[in-house]
Amino acid sequence: MNYRKITSALCIGMLSLAVTSPLLWAGEPGKLLMETIDKGFAILKDPSLKGDEKVQERRQKLWEEISPIFNFEEMSKRALGQHWKGRTPEEKKEFVVLFTNIMKDAYIGKTDTYSGEKVVIVSEKQDKKYATVQTKIITNKGTEISVDYNMLNNPAGCTIYDVIIEGVSLVNNYRSQFNNILIKSSYQELIQKIKAKQS
Amino acid sequence: MFVVVFTMCVCKASVWAEPSPVSEGQPSEIPQEEKTPVINKANEDGELKHTVSAGQSDNTRKEDATPADTTQEEEEPINNDVKEEPPLVKDPLQPYNRAIFTFNDKAYHYFIKPIYTGYNSMIPEKARVSVRNFFTNIKMPVRFFNCLFQGEFKGAGTEFARFVINSTVGVAGFFDPAKSKFHLEKQERDFGQTLAKHKMNSGVYIVWPFLGPSTVRDTVGLAGDAALNPLGWISYFFLTPLEGFGNYSYDTVNDLSIDKGTTYENITKPAIDPYIALQDAYVQNRIKKIKE
Repeated sequence: MNYRKITSALCIGMLSLAVTSPLLWAGEPGKLLMETIDKGFAILKDPSLKGDEKVQERRQKLWEEISPIFNFEEMSKRALGQHWKGRTPEEKKEFVVLFTNIMKDAYIGKTDTYSGEKVVIVSEKQDKKYATVQTKIITNKGTEISVDYNMLNNPAGCTIYDVIIEGVSLVNNYRSQFNNILIKSSYQELIQKIKAKQS
Repeated sequence: MFVVVFTMCVCKASVWAEPSPVSEGQPSEIPQEEKTPVINKANEDGELKHTVSAGQSDNTRKEDATPADTTQEEEEPINNDVKEEPPLVKDPLQPYNRAIFTFNDKAYHYFIKPIYTGYNSMIPEKARVSVRNFFTNIKMPVRFFNCLFQGEFKGAGTEFARFVINSTVGVAGFFDPAKSKFHLEKQERDFGQTLAKHKMNSGVYIVWPFLGPSTVRDTVGLAGDAALNPLGWISYFFLTPLEGFGNYSYDTVNDLSIDKGTTYENITKPAIDPYIALQDAYVQNRIKKIKE
């Protein structure tokens, strides 16, 4: 009798653990992603880095923590699409730098308004080459935003090559823009436009 | 205990093992061994990127086709021609659309944003969320009927239950206990989706003054939703046109003040071409909502 009780208690315990703790059953890509997000949140919550006068310092630290998980070269390749192939190695290098800056300028500033949002893993899939981690951000207003991370599954560790927010792929969004410019004008003009934006 | 663990493992394994849906016209039975060297080669000189991109655009152009996972798309033929990558949506009205987009953008920054910023400073966020809940609750028939039209009977039931709970326990809809206490999620269903599910094509992209991005299909959808919206009926029977417009504007400004304004800026500000960025975001988001 007692044994049965213990067994069932263990069963229920394990089941509830499995259900409630996404980290427990999160595999390698999900774990890596959550660790990075947690590191980011830790910086945003750090009292010594709070306040308007610490903005630059906070953004810089955050960038150092989260940028290694992004594969900016892969993102740049995909954002340029079929135009990547015709570029010289120097042009490729320059483009990766410019695209990284677009990402940095666009998204690191968004963290200034952080107000206790939470991130949970919904599901994750992986195969030999790729991994997808579906997460959702729960805001303090109770709204849920679905954010999927597409990753390259390298032996050295997973790296993100695309972020899909509510169905909108970041890389596809930029590819549409670049394509639209490149249909009408040259690659040099595209670079000029990006540089003008960043100056 | 082991049974539980085992079941979990099996569930998880089956999720992974499940082949991702492959869009039409793609060879799906190519052995993995044959694939790999091709991919590696493609990867080195960057060709995979545009094969993936071409695949995605092709897939999204069909709109209602099953989503093809990027992992399955290496088999797309490689093409180097710039113009062969089809856009997500046809945009023959681009010169007109760009003009309206510029007008809307100016209207947003110089007229609407100052209004809602002032509104924000007077009304706390909690109250604004309550106002949104109230309007959302009133507009329940839009979601309810579109669930029915799309054959989502469970969704329609959820919407009905939400309406009953929120109208009573939620104090005339100002609160959302149906979600917070009963975990009944709002069913985002609109007439544009209904039309898409009944195989209507999206048609060309249109930007409306003040209303923003849309397509032919979603414009018809807007009209359909307006017909299902009790606010429209209340305005028609009990209010003057100006009061009705006031109601609508208030709902819109309130929505903008909570998060829609930020969303708009998040899309257009970091963009190199804000017009295309908004168009692409709109279309990608619609495709996701139709698939759901």
